[in-house]
Amino acid sequence: MAQNQTNAVVLSAEEFTVSAEPYYRPLGDEIELFEAAYDQRVPVLLKGPTGCGKTRFVEYMSYRLGHQGGSSKKSRSKKTNSNDSQRPLVTVACHEDLTASDLVGRYLLDTDGTHWIDGPLTRAVKAGAICYLDEVVEARKDTTVLIHPLTDYRRLLPIEKLGQVVEAADGFLLVISYNPGYQSALKDLKHSTRQRFISIEFTYPERDLEGEIIAHESGVDLAMALELAKLGEKVRNLKEHGLGEGVSTRLLIYAGRLITKGVSPRRAAQVAVTWSLTDDQEVQRSLEEVVSSIFE
Amino acid sequence: MSASAEELLLRYRDRFEGFPDPLFLAFEESLRTLDKNLSQDELISWVESGMSIMQTSLRSWEAAAEYFRASSLMPEGTTWQIYKDLGDLANDLTADSAPLAVAFLKSAPKVVNVPGFSSITDWGILGKSLYKGNWKSSSLAGQFFEASPDLLGILSDEEARRLVEFLDELARHSYELAASCLSTAAEVLGTLEEADRLAYLSFGLKLTQTSWADSRIYFERGAPLIQSVNAPSRDDFLQLATRVAEQNTRAMLSSFESGAAALGQISRDYHRPIVELAHAISLISPVAAMDFISNTPTVLEKIRIEALPSWHESGLNILESSLDGGEAYFRLQSSRGEDVLEKLSARIELTKVGEILRLYAKALTGRDVSVQSTAALTEKGIGWVDEHVASTEGSSIYVPVFMERYSSKEENFAALKVFVTHQAAHLEFGSFDFDLKKPATLFTNLRDELLKEQEGENSGFVTPFERFFDLFQNRQLGSDLYEISEDARIDAAIKREYGGIRKALNQLQGEEVQKRPEISELPLRQAFVENLLRVSLDGLDAVRWPKNKMEVMGQGIGILARLTDENATVEDAAEAALRLYNIALSVPNKKDEDDSEWSQMDPDDEMFSLDSTEMGEGTEQLQSGDEIENDTDYESPEDVDFRGDFKPELVQLLMNLRDDLEMGEGGEFSQDALTEEQLAELLEKSADLDLDALLEGDLETTTGMFLSNLLKEAGTPISEMDIQGNETKSDNSTGEEEGEEPLVPVITTYYYDEWDFRAHDYKPRWCAVQEQALGQGDEDFYEEALLEHSGLVAQTRKQFELMKPELFRKMKKLADGEDIDLDPAIEWMVDVRAGVTPAEKIYWRRNKIERDVAIAFLLDMSASTDEEIAKRERPSSDVDDDPRKYLSWWVSKRRQEMSEPPKRIIDLEKEATVLLITALETIGDEYGIYGFSGYGRDNVEFFVIKDFQEVFGPQIKKRIDQIAPIRSTRMGPAIRHATTKLNETGAKVKILFLLSDGRPQDHGYGRDRTEKEYAIHDTKQALNEAKRDGITPFALTVDRAGHDYLKTMCEDMGYEVVADIESLPYRLPALYRRLTE
Repeated sequence: MAQNQTNAVVLSAEEFTVSAEPYYRPLGDEIELFEAAYDQRVPVLLKGPTGCGKTRFVEYMSYRLGHQGGSSKKSRSKKTNSNDSQRPLVTVACHEDLTASDLVGRYLLDTDGTHWIDGPLTRAVKAGAICYLDEVVEARKDTTVLIHPLTDYRRLLPIEKLGQVVEAADGFLLVISYNPGYQSALKDLKHSTRQRFISIEFTYPERDLEGEIIAHESGVDLAMALELAKLGEKVRNLKEHGLGEGVSTRLLIYAGRLITKGVSPRRAAQVAVTWSLTDDQEVQRSLEEVVSSIFE
Repeated sequence: MSASAEELLLRYRDRFEGFPDPLFLAFEESLRTLDKNLSQDELISWVESGMSIMQTSLRSWEAAAEYFRASSLMPEGTTWQIYKDLGDLANDLTADSAPLAVAFLKSAPKVVNVPGFSSITDWGILGKSLYKGNWKSSSLAGQFFEASPDLLGILSDEEARRLVEFLDELARHSYELAASCLSTAAEVLGTLEEADRLAYLSFGLKLTQTSWADSRIYFERGAPLIQSVNAPSRDDFLQLATRVAEQNTRAMLSSFESGAAALGQISRDYHRPIVELAHAISLISPVAAMDFISNTPTVLEKIRIEALPSWHESGLNILESSLDGGEAYFRLQSSRGEDVLEKLSARIELTKVGEILRLYAKALTGRDVSVQSTAALTEKGIGWVDEHVASTEGSSIYVPVFMERYSSKEENFAALKVFVTHQAAHLEFGSFDFDLKKPATLFTNLRDELLKEQEGENSGFVTPFERFFDLFQNRQLGSDLYEISEDARIDAAIKREYGGIRKALNQLQGEEVQKRPEISELPLRQAFVENLLRVSLDGLDAVRWPKNKMEVMGQGIGILARLTDENATVEDAAEAALRLYNIALSVPNKKDEDDSEWSQMDPDDEMFSLDSTEMGEGTEQLQSGDEIENDTDYESPEDVDFRGDFKPELVQLLMNLRDDLEMGEGGEFSQDALTEEQLAELLEKSADLDLDALLEGDLETTTGMFLSNLLKEAGTPISEMDIQGNETKSDNSTGEEEGEEPLVPVITTYYYDEWDFRAHDYKPRWCAVQEQALGQGDEDFYEEALLEHSGLVAQTRKQFELMKPELFRKMKKLADGEDIDLDPAIEWMVDVRAGVTPAEKIYWRRNKIERDVAIAFLLDMSASTDEEIAKRERPSSDVDDDPRKYLSWWVSKRRQEMSEPPKRIIDLEKEATVLLITALETIGDEYGIYGFSGYGRDNVEFFVIKDFQEVFGPQIKKRIDQIAPIRSTRMGPAIRHATTKLNETGAKVKILFLLSDGRPQDHGYGRDRTEKEYAIHDTKQALNEAKRDGITPFALTVDRAGHDYLKTMCEDMGYEVVADIESLPYRLPALYRRLTE
């Protein structure tokens, strides 16, 4: 988003808003569903493989909800210091060491003693932002303690260490994402958590549609974009037969971007697709054969 | 007779008194003959010579008689010198042995008659040299003289001398062998060319000097072998073989034989360069040189002859730096050698690229296809007969087992890839999804009309293709035209969809066009089809057709050209086939009678341009295929290699049958709807099937067998290709049903390399590890062992429970964490107040600890573990002095031994295993227990007592009971196999625990049975490999002399010698704790 800015812009977590409209090509009725859910403050779970556009979708929705102003009548957030119509977006990428304190906040030491600092979730709750927890199953189990009261009628965030409970600002919505593809049985989302969200499922787009997306995002011409999409389709045929995951649209876009910079299509596909997907030499070789069949 | 001769006769008459009459008669007759040739003095001298023979010994008169007889038989014009020599030699020989002289004299006249014979003396002396003063040598020398007329007819003097030398040498060891060789000598040497004889005999001589026992075999079998070597190279080859003997006497004959046999398999033109290359090697190692020759045919299977010098050079380089390494290289027992071969080879082998191509085909088609060799398809007996062309039967793609069209790997692989792509494209672009009713996109539908017309005639049909082909009176022609149309469509689709493969496909198509048969020889209709085929291969300029009939051809090509359209479907190909069929029938199938010139098509000719869209639409009815008289029978064009055997009807049938089985009763046509008769009918008329070629025998049984094969095939699930290198050999044919424990243990074979420390190289796929579950015995042993060591069990269990990690451990002093840790926080504050830079690590967090340990136990089950443990209980010293006390001690000891047999090493190994299992079950680590034994490299037995994924249960207890001493100890491959198993577990901590009683030792595990070095080095290497894979090896031995070799084997690895073997059950769990903590 900050591509054309020369200097980095420093914002605090809850101040970040999506200012320019992100490109998003809907595959179905997901926009309407999300809008309806937001209107009713129903938490949303986005399911789908990596790189199929979940994050982009959240950004797009954040922008869209922010710029429709009137669409959400309840939007009366008091604390946002930026344009009132904009909807802040707090994104947290979850990892296996992410604990509840990482989300809620913790005490820091300074010369005068300790002072409390809010975590990203707390900030989002207070600012009425959309809080997007990416790959939520990766986080430690204690985080669910925080998620549960926020996702039912209570909309509360307990801050144990402060002895406080924060009532979520009006604009707040929790969105989580989840990739069912590579979750082992150990790391499945618990039902008590799952059943607090509506689920919108994402898949990779059809060849033509994906070609369109690749063309738009990477700048290659449509013909080349369609070839890349064809590659995507073929490679996805190998999912679970040598490949854990099919190639993501994101990677195909990367390949397209390299091509616009003059990298040969075969080479671009090799570095962006083949080598990114697997370390298994034999599977790499198979993928390269597919690549060399498609691209001259 | 002259007067003087008469006088001589009278003079000597008396001297014959007392000798048998024939003697005198011989003398008389001989004298008569010689009288004409010899002077008086010479005659006297001659007679005296005879007298002297006669009087030499009691039986020497026989020799004398023979002397006289021989003299008379001498050819005319024989000089006195020869008679004199004969006499002198005869005297000489008689002095040694009268029978020998007889043999000599008997052959002499014949020998003298041999053209080119030089000296009777030389010959005689030669024969005499074989005589050593005993009767056996006398008989051999006699045999030599007897055989001489034949031999000398063949051999030169020098060759004869060499033969005698050979015989002489051999006779020193065995007169029987020498006699046997001599008896065949004339015949054997006769078959040889003159130039080879001397070398052949010289080699024989050398062979006799080094390994005489092989001589006769060589003498009998060698001649044809040497002749398989090209003549100019024979001498060099034999010299080489001779030098081998100098290096390794035992291998002499076998290396000669294998070398010669190998050359026999290679074109004679290459013999000289190969022998020359071998010569260069022989300067360092003759044995390696001969191995080089012997293995050349094998090597040439992999590389082209042009690459042979490179192969040779790489080997020579290795040989120069390491004799053992180079010899292993040329023996083809070296991994480096395999690498070189692989690099030089242009051939692409399916076994190597099969998996890549399988995934490739899967990616293209999105189906679970496998890629297999065509041999696998033909073996199924379901209609495919040609092993050399590619094909598909709907679930798998079949390609030739190797590709060696071009001189580089890249080109060959590209070609193989085109093969696979074409077959995959049949699946991807729906060649077998043909639907009768589905309208074509490019053509108007002729099918509907035609189908209606034939309605009723043919209502029951099995597949849409069957019904479709029924539309053609001449099924074969219709089927061919459909195949050409469909292949044209498919190739066009590939070129359109896969730009990257276009080049290779174009090249292959071009080459196929070049290979097509001469067209002008064909009858017209066949030429028409052939032309279409060429067009479908993008070979428009290869079309040849009578100028005056161009229009017909143009129509055909125009129809075909439309199938290259993006929207063409399989139904379009079918419609095209219908139209082409009509055109083809308008062409008579006979040689062109008009004198019109056959010419190329003019590409600019508008005749077959795409504008003529609805060409052939006019003929809405299929013409009847009535053969016009004089027509030749129609024959199909030859298959195109990469397109291979395209059998749409059969594939559709198979696919339908498969779907049907999957869907069960709900299928499109369920099993009962499809009768065998229907199937048989389909198959009989199908053009896909050449039943004659398929199987011999009468049609009924043939189709029956074929049908059952087909149904079986349809019922088999699509099998993924076997994992490379592993093959399951199973003798049981009955136990295949699910859930049924096979009666005969299933043995899976794995191959492992072995380290040759002398060559500093691996011997590729040297050892075969046969993995099988150990048989099941009784559970009692397990329970008894637990009972016996009950105290220890409880103790071990407790210790191991303590090892169980806490799920969360509080980690302190972290830079970042859940909360502030009070102690460092206070320090931090103190530091800040004191003006010192404070330590930043003031947080704590709970870290999850996961114990992720996998351990493989390898138990030595070699025969030596049978050894009883010598109880070193000595009677106490006071007993020593008192015989009565000693006696009572001894009696009590015996009694104890009777009631409780002494323990063997293996028993303790078993007990230790039991204890360990209890411990491991407590802690919950992943573990496998394996035993190994075996004999020789082909049979390393690897017994599974408990596999990693197996759950501990009664069957494991029963298997423990069966642990018993078996055979030898080849540790290397067992360790390698255990390493493979450990790697499969994917655990973080992997331990390989080797429990053995002695050093590694096996048949062929080293130069000889007593050599330790080789086995120890291989074992060490195997342990090193394990370490490289992140495994902690640990060796525990109960061999008291263990330190000797364990030090070499485990330089920097954990090892321990259990000094007191009985403490093994105690030590093992303790050691384990130490290893994993």
